Amino acid sequence: MIQFYYAYQPIIDFFLLSVGFGYSQQIALRAGVFSIATAGFAALGSYCVAILATKTGVPIFLTVILGTALAAAVGGLLALPLARLRGAFQAIATLAFVQIILSLLLYGEGFTGGALGIVGIPREVNTWILLIVVGLTMYVMWNIGRSGMGRVFNALRQEESVASSLGVNIGKYHIIAFIISGAVGGLFGGLQSLYTFQIEPHNYGFAFIVNVLTVVILGGRTTLLGPIMGALIMAILPEIARPLAEYRQAVNGVILILVITFLPNGVGDEIVFWFRRRKQARQQQHRASEKEARDAVS
Amino acid sequence: MPSLKLENVAKHFGGLKAVDKVSMEVPPGEITGLIGPNGAGKSTVVNMISGVLALTEGDITVDGVSVATDRADIVARKGVARTFQNIRLLPEATVLDNVMIGFHRREEAGVLAQMLGLPAARRDTKRFEEKAWDLLRRFRMEDFAEYEAGNLAYGHQRRVEMMRAIAAEPDIVLLDEPVAGMNDVESDELATIFRELADSGMGLLLIEHNVGFVTRLCKKVYVLDSGRMIASGDPEAVVRDPQVVAAYIGTSGH
Amino acid sequence: MLSQQILNGLVSGSVYALFSLGFTLIFGVQKLLNFAHGATFMAGAFIAYYCTISGLPFLLAIGFSMLATGLIAILIDLIAFRTLRNRGNAEFPALVSSIGVDLILVSIAQQVSKTQVLNFPFGTFPIKFYDLFGLRISLLQIVILAVVAVLVAALIFYLRKTTFGRQVRAVATNERAAALLGVNAQSVYLQTFFIAGALAGLAGVLIGLLFNSIQFLMGEPYMLRAFVVVVIGGLGSVQGAIVASLLLGVTQSLAVAYLPSGLTDAIIFGLLFLVLLVRPNGLFGDINAVAGGTRQ
Repeated sequence: MIQFYYAYQPIIDFFLLSVGFGYSQQIALRAGVFSIATAGFAALGSYCVAILATKTGVPIFLTVILGTALAAAVGGLLALPLARLRGAFQAIATLAFVQIILSLLLYGEGFTGGALGIVGIPREVNTWILLIVVGLTMYVMWNIGRSGMGRVFNALRQEESVASSLGVNIGKYHIIAFIISGAVGGLFGGLQSLYTFQIEPHNYGFAFIVNVLTVVILGGRTTLLGPIMGALIMAILPEIARPLAEYRQAVNGVILILVITFLPNGVGDEIVFWFRRRKQARQQQHRASEKEARDAVS
Repeated sequence: MPSLKLENVAKHFGGLKAVDKVSMEVPPGEITGLIGPNGAGKSTVVNMISGVLALTEGDITVDGVSVATDRADIVARKGVARTFQNIRLLPEATVLDNVMIGFHRREEAGVLAQMLGLPAARRDTKRFEEKAWDLLRRFRMEDFAEYEAGNLAYGHQRRVEMMRAIAAEPDIVLLDEPVAGMNDVESDELATIFRELADSGMGLLLIEHNVGFVTRLCKKVYVLDSGRMIASGDPEAVVRDPQVVAAYIGTSGH
Repeated sequence: MLSQQILNGLVSGSVYALFSLGFTLIFGVQKLLNFAHGATFMAGAFIAYYCTISGLPFLLAIGFSMLATGLIAILIDLIAFRTLRNRGNAEFPALVSSIGVDLILVSIAQQVSKTQVLNFPFGTFPIKFYDLFGLRISLLQIVILAVVAVLVAALIFYLRKTTFGRQVRAVATNERAAALLGVNAQSVYLQTFFIAGALAGLAGVLIGLLFNSIQFLMGEPYMLRAFVVVVIGGLGSVQGAIVASLLLGVTQSLAVAYLPSGLTDAIIFGLLFLVLLVRPNGLFGDINAVAGGTRQ
């Protein structure tokens, strides 16, 4: 076990960070928001932590909280104009948001280090911390799924008009989804910067957007298992497909197309659905046999 | 219990007067009918009441307060629920979850309590689950609780819509063609439920194409044709009204 | 100086137009965002480059490249869009699957070019400058403006005056109704994809010439700018895309000249945001961008 951990530690850490970013992406999609803003939230969190940790004496723990709060606040603000838009327009607007953040990071050289980024960030985060934070995030996501909020998100994703006919304030819940997406993205962005020693704007560009999206598409957009399965595949895949290392992006592309075409719910969601259906079938069977027994008696 | 009133309501799409100068009332504790041939503007009326379409003219009030410019969710919060003519369920969710979403405006737990799984949120869910099962039994749907709503038969889907609409105990329910595609036994069952709901004080507006079902059930019936109100009053009298007969014969092509 | 900047802006704006037209055309017809459009653009430059260095006359190389990118775009439709479209509600899945195609094309280009920046051989296009009312304009810039003007005019003519154009507009307005009228939607899709791809390919070649640099990631910034263009112009609107492209080209060129460098992107994407806030349907758009919840 210990040996396994040391051999694969970087992969495990990568996996845990991907899961975190995956939940940030997932919560937006789950609420029917086509946001790809997670990259921007992650950048905000990670730069906030990096700047505070290298240039001020703010305790590390507090820098992460501040980074999370900043990204959550920006998420909430972003939602105000975005809640009015739909589908493709939301995707474009969030893409623009990421571009604005990136170009501001490049521009504010004195503060952000420009294209070179920030180096010398204290390495305060290890696998265990990541594990704990992923666990806490999952706990919150699990609660959301079981509560009224989760039901509202499901309704918004599947049929907006029904939600609003039942008294759901669509704008409000889109804002909530953005704030949560921002907070989770910012939180894991902050952890990432305390893990990697160095960050630069480039880390949060198009490639980041695609990776996070891939995690959720592969894994699934609605279940707790989704991002875990997605991140697992993304972490293991390069190990399996080593001969194709040079074409790694192309392999990712092929997988994206195959999964969205033939397994549109994602691997994780499909697994959960399969178990759910099996349970339903059993209950049905159970009821049928009960009925038979009753009929036989009478 | 409040009543719903429409006063000179009109909806014009460009030059087309889809609904013109319609006045009607849905009082509490009664079943009111709105009938008319296809394309008469019935669904447009429902959509204006429920906050989907804006009014061109006129006013809609609930308990004397105007809701004519309120958003759909605010109209719902003021106690007006509806079903959809073209059934709109959450196809991926189970029947139980479809009903559960109907309790939304009765939620007591705040957003943070829900995220942290605090007792308030658990209490909400538990309370709603119990009520949802009551509804399922009442509509004889308990065997289907765990089914994905998208896989149900047509008649069962309509019932899920109705359970969802009445879950939060609204004052007024707009039922848009609730028995379309159902057989007589099924529609009789629903008629009983509708009467019970009215007896409990709810005001029901039954929008129907099928005249027979409405005349049996309603205390008062309004008839729309080409967007205009051509008759209203006692169901037996209304269906004998020559204008109503002409409207139905004229457009159904018999 | 100011007018020089505006001229330069118009030149790059006209290439944006070439690129964005296809993107907006596809959206107009299918209501789907084709994320692989940037990669198609890049492929255009690559194909023209490899044709040129293997000895093909430059004009022929361009023609071949446009044909090839047109076919690539058709392939994108077949691989990434068709199955999803038939299933319905394809907006998000199609975005994902076109990102998949983008990754594949970019990855292939990266391997082919070995991550190097490529340049067209010296003399591929004559370098000549003219003075026009005190403005310095290169032969290439003149050719770009002329070519784009002719192609845009041809496209508008094609959409407005031919049977194909009427079919495109019919499918864009209502696919089912169009099908009832006997319009073959699939063939309309293939044609629009071909046109979109060929225009993007040509745009790639022109940009490769203008900046004398071709590399596998060159599509990305243009893709991002196409988003700005189509939102400002109104998704699906051809006139809007042209006006917005020129506007963007000029704005960008002025921002580079007169504002702190590095802020350009923040400004143009801020502009996009502003337009989404104030006029979500863009300047010319007729596709409803605003979400439910409000009375209509």
